[in-house]
Amino acid sequence: MSYLNTTEVESAVTSLATAFPSACDLIDLPEPSVEGRAGHALRIGTAPAGTHDCVVLIGGVHAREWGSCEILVHLAADLLEAGTEGAGLAYGGKTYTAAQVRNVLDNLDVVVFPLVNPDGRHYSQTVDPMWRKNRNPANSGGDPSRIGVDINRNYDFLFDFATAFDPTAGVQVSDDPGDIQVYQGPSPFSEPETRNVRWLLDAFPRTRWFVDVHSYSEDMLFVWGDDENQSLDPAKNFRNTAFDGKRGVAGDLAYAEFIPKDDADDSTVLAEQFCKGLHGVRGRAYSPMSAFHLYPTSGTSDDYAYSRHIADPHKGKILGFTIEWGKSFHPPWSEMKRIVLDVDSGLVQFCLTALA
Amino acid sequence: MSTARQLLRVRVTAKDAETLRSLLREARPDVGGRPRQGEDGTFSIEAYASPEEAEALEREGVVVTTIEDATATGRARQAEVGEGDRFAPDDAVPRGLALKVKDA
Repeated sequence: MSYLNTTEVESAVTSLATAFPSACDLIDLPEPSVEGRAGHALRIGTAPAGTHDCVVLIGGVHAREWGSCEILVHLAADLLEAGTEGAGLAYGGKTYTAAQVRNVLDNLDVVVFPLVNPDGRHYSQTVDPMWRKNRNPANSGGDPSRIGVDINRNYDFLFDFATAFDPTAGVQVSDDPGDIQVYQGPSPFSEPETRNVRWLLDAFPRTRWFVDVHSYSEDMLFVWGDDENQSLDPAKNFRNTAFDGKRGVAGDLAYAEFIPKDDADDSTVLAEQFCKGLHGVRGRAYSPMSAFHLYPTSGTSDDYAYSRHIADPHKGKILGFTIEWGKSFHPPWSEMKRIVLDVDSGLVQFCLTALA
Repeated sequence: MSTARQLLRVRVTAKDAETLRSLLREARPDVGGRPRQGEDGTFSIEAYASPEEAEALEREGVVVTTIEDATATGRARQAEVGEGDRFAPDDAVPRGLALKVKDA
């Protein structure tokens, strides 16, 4: 075994769809990457699509975080194989019964999109291992060092960060195409990769949970990422321009992002249960926390997913999460296999908690 | 085609939280993970920087220590990436890493 190359991630997804036709559907993402690579996802579930609530899992967003794709491919394979055999799943010291696996397959749509950024992964695995962004040259002016957009800053959430945030906030985003890591792109959803993720959320309107798999810091993050959470003052929210220039400062009284208490509690419980399911494998202790505690951000997927129902009441509410697995971007494959077991166990527990 | 920049993985340790926040705000290094508080009250975070950028992170109240050559490590990991397509044969299907177990 070894890390999957870009071709193999796609091939794995299509192979699973062929091997388990009664338990999953192959989803063709509508937009190819800038370099022409097609994207595919799997909908896993025994009921017809749309019968049940849906959890959307994405990975391979940041190119250098290779193991995110393997985490999702192996999760899909585990669920499909165990479901077909009537078996349970054992991840190290944590076991899920056959009935629990069947519960996930029969009562949930699990949508798995393991490789959002195929061009970036290919470049990272063959040229520059530390590459993070996609490979879109549109804003580079012909300068190879200015290629690419950080996909996880390209969603429509507080995109105008210079207006929204306090100048001292240190928000981790940039409007400079020369920024090698966190260039947000010229406009929200300027990139085919983010448009594919948005399309998935639109195509599965019963999506209630969204998880974006990243590395690293051994954390399970939930919304919000722009400031600390509070559930007392609804006026302090990302749409209220009265608080422009005040967001993103830790420990101040000027601003904290509103989240209804029920959503805050549900998010916390789901994150805690993920960490509990993960801990049972070999004792790794991931921390559940709001994303702001990693660092302040704008334009991220988890905040966008949750903000959709606020920006447009016709859209369903989606609780958004980001996993930060491991302690380095490129662990040896021997260690990455253990991390796959850790995180996949956490994700099975996450699904069971969502169903409860 | 461009080649890889040489990046070091470094630990940036500041005497207190405000010093670290200030450094992150001003220098905007490429960070990995999140800040951690040491038992001695210092705050640290991992960052990725060229040798010159790493040196420039040094300042009053800040210590920068090199953990590894991240680019060299990444290149070594590139040797652990599959070649070809292991799932190309019709009967080749990904197997998850969990054990499939029958209930007791």
